[in-house]
Amino acid sequence: MATTTAALTITSSDLVGDALSLSTSNTLQKAGSTDGLDQTTGITRAYLTSTAAIDLFPALVEGSLAFTGKSNWVYICNKSEDATEYALITIGGINVGRLYGGDFLWMPWSMVETANADNHHGDIELAPSVDTGMWFEWTCINEGTEWHAADLAIV
Amino acid sequence: MATTSATLTLASADMLTDNLSFTTTSVLTTAGTATGLSNTTGLARKTTSASTKYTLFYADDYTANKAHKLYFRNTETTSTLYFTITVGTVDVGRVYANDWALIPWSASDGTKEVATLTIGGTWTTSDTLAFDGVTVTAGSGTAATATAMRAALYPNWTASGSGNDCIFTAKRARADLEVNAEQFTITDAASGDASITVATTTEGLDNAANIYITSSTSASHTLEYMLLYE
Repeated sequence: MATTTAALTITSSDLVGDALSLSTSNTLQKAGSTDGLDQTTGITRAYLTSTAAIDLFPALVEGSLAFTGKSNWVYICNKSEDATEYALITIGGINVGRLYGGDFLWMPWSMVETANADNHHGDIELAPSVDTGMWFEWTCINEGTEWHAADLAIV
Repeated sequence: MATTSATLTLASADMLTDNLSFTTTSVLTTAGTATGLSNTTGLARKTTSASTKYTLFYADDYTANKAHKLYFRNTETTSTLYFTITVGTVDVGRVYANDWALIPWSASDGTKEVATLTIGGTWTTSDTLAFDGVTVTAGSGTAATATAMRAALYPNWTASGSGNDCIFTAKRARADLEVNAEQFTITDAASGDASITVATTTEGLDNAANIYITSSTSASHTLEYMLLYE
């Protein structure tokens, strides 16, 4: 059983009258248990040169037992140093938010199955705002991975 | 300009053969600039007592397509308890006991109901017209009455338009707001022929990217959260 911790600090001395100094840390555990998450996609570093949306984790099976209702965590960071360049993050066609240059997210991911499962509608999609090249990092730490069979036809 | 920093540290000595240990820091800025986010809801807590969906933030209350950031933390210690975080119609994921998340939020607007009220007949200053809990004293004539309706402030609607019209636009995207003449109450003290017509021009939809939470339990369950926005 692996022990993985995710810690966050948010600080500001001038956002509000009182200094903001938030610190939290948790050990990543399987859903409803104290067993640690033990699988990961590894950290991807990618240079994207198109504004077309991509699936970040296309090999993982949507709605599989490994995902639905489980504890899965995703990190995405826009490594661009240009403040105007952003990545649009969508899940299931819903616009979740924009990561501008230097922004990161850390979020849970359910990847529930949709009526068009093979279309990966529960996937996390990332669309760069420019096609001149942007660096990104991402990883998924999860509690079980179900992979697509070889040569699966994607509808 | 406020300077707010968020730092994530991920560490594991035994998930992989090599140590996992990295830290990333982001200075939270407004969209496309180096100017820091300067608005926050403050750190807050929501204690739920039912496993039904709660609305934490309405997208229509915030500017769409900016660099808003949401922080969540499940304050419970029982490992089976979780909150499901939902953006619009998509369940993003679950935050179990002591889990936290930091996600961007576009606050995408939904489709707001729009209806046009047209004032007709004969109106005097002794008449009134009530809508959405607000009673407006009429003006002398149709145009003056429409002007008075446009000038009033309504809990759930904004008003605009010109001439004899008053265009009502819902403040939030909802599917349950239907406007027809029955929602208006005319008190006609004089002429007896004060009239209105109401026509819906846009049907509202419950399709905004609101932030919802759903507890896994009907027992008391607390989520800590904060929105940083611009």
